[in-house]
Amino acid sequence: MSSRLMQMWKDKMLYIMLVPAFAYFIIFHIWPIFGMKLAFYEYRIIGDNVFVGMKYFTALFNTPVFTNVLMNTLIVSAMKIVIIFPLPVIFALLLNEFRNGRFRKSIQVISYLPHFLSWVVIAGIWFEFMSPSTGIVNGIIQLFGFPAHDFLTDKSAIRWILVLSEAWRSIGWDSIIFLAAIIGISPSLYEAAYVDGANRWHIVTKIVIPHLYIPMVTIFILNIGFLMNAGLDQILNFTNDAVNSKIDIIDTYVYRIGLLNFEYSFATAASLFKSVIGVILVLSTHFISKKLTSKGAW
Amino acid sequence: MIGNKITLSKLFIGVILSLLTLTMFVPIVNMFARAFSSPDRVHLLQGYEILPRGFSLIHFQVVLQNPIVSQALFNSLFITIVGTVSSIFLTTVTAYVLTRKNLVGKTPIMVFLIIIMIFEPGIIQEYMVMKDIALLDNLWAMVVYRLVNVYYLIIMMRFIEEIPESLIEAAKIDGAGHMKLFMRIVLPLARVPLMTIGMFYAVVKWNEFFKSSIFLSSKDNTVLQVMLRQFIVERDTSTLVGAAELLKNSGVAQLDFSALKAATIVIAIVPILMLYPIILKHYTGGVMEGGVKE
Repeated sequence: MSSRLMQMWKDKMLYIMLVPAFAYFIIFHIWPIFGMKLAFYEYRIIGDNVFVGMKYFTALFNTPVFTNVLMNTLIVSAMKIVIIFPLPVIFALLLNEFRNGRFRKSIQVISYLPHFLSWVVIAGIWFEFMSPSTGIVNGIIQLFGFPAHDFLTDKSAIRWILVLSEAWRSIGWDSIIFLAAIIGISPSLYEAAYVDGANRWHIVTKIVIPHLYIPMVTIFILNIGFLMNAGLDQILNFTNDAVNSKIDIIDTYVYRIGLLNFEYSFATAASLFKSVIGVILVLSTHFISKKLTSKGAW
Repeated sequence: MIGNKITLSKLFIGVILSLLTLTMFVPIVNMFARAFSSPDRVHLLQGYEILPRGFSLIHFQVVLQNPIVSQALFNSLFITIVGTVSSIFLTTVTAYVLTRKNLVGKTPIMVFLIIIMIFEPGIIQEYMVMKDIALLDNLWAMVVYRLVNVYYLIIMMRFIEEIPESLIEAAKIDGAGHMKLFMRIVLPLARVPLMTIGMFYAVVKWNEFFKSSIFLSSKDNTVLQVMLRQFIVERDTSTLVGAAELLKNSGVAQLDFSALKAATIVIAIVPILMLYPIILKHYTGGVMEGGVKE
């Protein structure tokens, strides 16, 4: 024991160097966790908060809005996970047909770019090209003789807009990991296959795609861990009164009820509910991923 | 590789990929074209065009002359620069300490970090903390918010572990303390991961909009993304209309609102484009290598 203390004393400079980062962690990560207890207390501006137990959770589940919000979160998130998931894989496979040429490079450079734009900027760009009067999308629709349509205020279209814009933003960037996996395939496998008379199609289906199974499974499982995050920034920028009931998620709800209506305890209960489900999901996906691929999230 | 000749299927794939990429390229470049077009002809510009109609910098002049926009731009730059530098520094210092051999208490510290990684604090609690430490409506709130990312910290630790121990030992024998070791040896050697992670911090700081909108309430502390949202999502033209008035007095024809919006979007994209070569060179390379190693 004393030798450990000696070692610590010898390394005192190291511990001093840890102080700033740990001060940050404690203030901005640990302190808020304790703040979550507000979900069990009634918030008072003056005087002590009163312990009310599960009152706010019961209220939460008896509020029809919350049920709707929870469903929206799950639906929007699940749509994104299921629909977007295969796209980067397909993108990587298509791109792989081109070997290191200028064409491949330029496609890559452009396709990564949207990933680095903020949702505000993306919304600005999308509003412009979905615009009923001047947008490209409606221009094409009218070319085929259909009337122009404002998709952004259409209740039945808005979730698809969220999925599409998310895909637009992430296909290129998310394909990197699959391209890397493809590059990692040993060339001798291809050569052996060619000797056996395989064509390009055989190569892709029998060699390349099987090599992508493990990264695919890993990424799919990890995505499920973030099921409760349906995309706050995106939704805040794509929402409007006409469609809000379809895409109002737990995060936007917590923001509205908590910070705009000052119902701190109620909102904290909603956000604690979200966090608990989120932690359970992340932990279980981590363990599943570790079981299946011997690789977890960290 | 055998498949180098142009076949029909390859041509087909090429067309699909080009069309897909054009949906990303054209709308972004169209914003630039709109912003640089001359005010009297910008209304002729179609959504699929990538070259400006005429050429003028007037939209940028108007947008930047507006004191609210220039203040927002300044605030965004301040937060991004100061925030990124502090983030990089703290991440690297912490990574250095955590990669030291015989560090007593390393295991509990790592467990602590993983708990932090899993448990996202809620918005209300973060707001309350900012309030308690009196940083609400202060630019420093956005500097310290998400100051150290545990995921990047772990990446940084992997890089520092690669630095040959003998180098550090040699400096130790010459009598260098940990702080000196860190500044003189680790920092210079970790230049590549530093740039990679730094640019990632920078992108996040520059693009952060929701937290800026709740932590920074007064007009003086607005950042560019929040300002942009006002124009784009809330269609609040008051700020820009003020600018248009200003312009009428100087005798220029009436301005197109969408062009002013485009100019603001361009201002918000340009810093990312300036970082883009570094992003491409280091980060995508890193992801590639990481993927292969796995």
